[in-house]
Amino acid sequence: MTKGWTAVIDGFSYMLEGAWVNLVVVIGALGVGFALGLPMALVQVYSRSAFLRTCIGAYVWFFRGIPLLVCLFLFYFGLFEYLGWNLSAFAVGVIVLGLISAAYQSQILRGAILAVSEGQMKAGRALGLSDVQTIRHIVLPQALRMAIPGWSNEYSILLKDSAVTYALGVSELMARAHHVASRTYQHLYLYVTAGLLFMTMTWIGTRLLRSLQERLTVPGFSK
Amino acid sequence: MEEIRYLVDEVLPALWRGLLVSVSLIVPSLVLGLAGGILLGTARVYGTGWLRRLCDGIVLVFRGFPLVIQLYIWYFGLPRIGVYLSPYTASVCGFVCCSAAYHSEYIRGALLSIRPGQMLAGHAIGLTAFQTIRHVILPQAVRRALPGCGNEIIYLVKYSSLAYMITCIELTGEGKILASASFKYFEVFLTVGIVYLLLVTLVSRALEALETHLVIPGFERYRT
Amino acid sequence: MNDAPFFDGSLPILDISHVTKRYGSMVILDDVSLSIRRGEIKVLIGPSGAGKSTLLQSVNFLVKPDSGTIRLEGKPVDASSKQALCRYRQQVGMIFQDFNLFDHLTALRNVELGLIHVKQFRKNEARDRAMQELERVGLAGRAHHYPAQLSGGQKQRVSIARALAMDPKVMLLDEPTSALDPELIGEVHAVITRLGEAGMTMILATHQIGYARNLADEIVFMENGRILEQGPPEKILEHAELERTRAFCSRIADARG
Repeated sequence: MTKGWTAVIDGFSYMLEGAWVNLVVVIGALGVGFALGLPMALVQVYSRSAFLRTCIGAYVWFFRGIPLLVCLFLFYFGLFEYLGWNLSAFAVGVIVLGLISAAYQSQILRGAILAVSEGQMKAGRALGLSDVQTIRHIVLPQALRMAIPGWSNEYSILLKDSAVTYALGVSELMARAHHVASRTYQHLYLYVTAGLLFMTMTWIGTRLLRSLQERLTVPGFSK
Repeated sequence: MEEIRYLVDEVLPALWRGLLVSVSLIVPSLVLGLAGGILLGTARVYGTGWLRRLCDGIVLVFRGFPLVIQLYIWYFGLPRIGVYLSPYTASVCGFVCCSAAYHSEYIRGALLSIRPGQMLAGHAIGLTAFQTIRHVILPQAVRRALPGCGNEIIYLVKYSSLAYMITCIELTGEGKILASASFKYFEVFLTVGIVYLLLVTLVSRALEALETHLVIPGFERYRT
Repeated sequence: MNDAPFFDGSLPILDISHVTKRYGSMVILDDVSLSIRRGEIKVLIGPSGAGKSTLLQSVNFLVKPDSGTIRLEGKPVDASSKQALCRYRQQVGMIFQDFNLFDHLTALRNVELGLIHVKQFRKNEARDRAMQELERVGLAGRAHHYPAQLSGGQKQRVSIARALAMDPKVMLLDEPTSALDPELIGEVHAVITRLGEAGMTMILATHQIGYARNLADEIVFMENGRILEQGPPEKILEHAELERTRAFCSRIADARG
């Protein structure tokens, strides 16, 4: 028993550094996902071009249907190699998780935009605001607030998914736990510790997002 | 020509083998995971104090730990306490526990959304609490939980690929072996990806059909 | 008010001619024409589904009519030009049945928004003007409340202030009190009455026949997407020419009876 805890204590700071890598991957992926997901959601809701909407539908179908691990292999060993891009495993992790997250975030945002009642759009137009102004000043401020719980969920999914980047050799928490375990043979203790660290990060992140939501709260948007 | 031979002689048989392993991972995990989720979810709503807390705790852990770590615990961790599992068994155990935890969230939410009057009405005609849950509450709750549980099943199909990480050679694993031998990573993983896409599309069509089949007036709005 | 000289009050300020709207095979508006002079108040009555709401929304192009022309001060509105449409909509205020206040903004910010982004007011000018409008509807004290913190009647008054801030030439009111609890209707009616007394040109759709009688210069009876009859309140409500109109008015009177 004590050997297990000794291994955990000895490897703890090494593992914490790994946890930081996971956080950076997740924040990067959330950013990439939002930057791509928001325009995709806007096109899906407002664009009159059936072609564009179909393209985005296909993107979403692809990245939501393909397993993360396969996608990581496809991009890391396949596509980027093929294109001759020499990207680090870390960068590929951020990009792939970001591309997948874009598919999910576009759907979160699409739902939020559609949940803003049509009357809000009409009222904006009736005042003489242009469609772009109405979306920018009336629809999005409401939709983005409504999307926060969805993001919170997306954060916790991405965080857990970020452990899969271990398969590419990213030196994140999971990889480091395994590394320490293969030296000390205390797998059980180290993996449980890694899992608890993931849970802690999830807890902290969702708490932060909840307090963000409370800060931005407006009466009537309590949910 | 050589490409086609490679495809027909090596890629297709290997991927077919892998697909069969994947399916044999998914099917039992799906069934047991759903059953576990219903039990856990019901216990978390109607259970007595300690049972409810215990189940809440279990769910918290299985939803909080990344699935890869859970698989590593089943496969590399448990030998520490004398439990040795094959890669296949360890994978199924991991998938069942994880998806049961997620399913239980949807079941719980659905159960809580059933009006208390339904329980009272069950008691009023002389059903026991267990009978009311079984015959009145669950049939309603399952319909409400179905969209969420359906998503979970689709996640299961995709995350079954993680079995590769603990050396259970399923579709992804066969792909990795093929690609490492031929260096045709892009082609092989694109093919593997498409197989998963087809699988996911097939499962989601089936789930949609099931939802449509089960739909009754008043429960339509729970579809997404 | 700097009227163009030829607007002596006899020419229509707003002219709706031959407006038609279909949804699939359903005809919602069937060749509707209506014109209104400056300072005039017309009240649309008729059963639910008669097309009153669609007519008002078509006037503002929130619903695009399939055919027909809308003229403001004699000039036809070109709905195909976005700028022209925005300019036109500023001049025609719209009040919705369900208020449609911007739910994420306080009452004051609701009123300011159009001033800042459409009329290009500076922040502090917009604030002063918005406060003025809120005072006009008696809600200066609620300026910093969010829609969810206001009663239905207060929400509707804020939405009137929001429309008035744009200096509209015509106001369209689509059943402004039908989503309100009975005890809140009075405060909204009082605001509308004061507007009328101040000379605002208005088209109001309502089911409140008693109120319509007091307010209207003319009552317009609609059914099945058509205007069947129009005239002074006493005539339409008491000696209507058409059987349909009489039947509707007596049904409403019975219901209130």
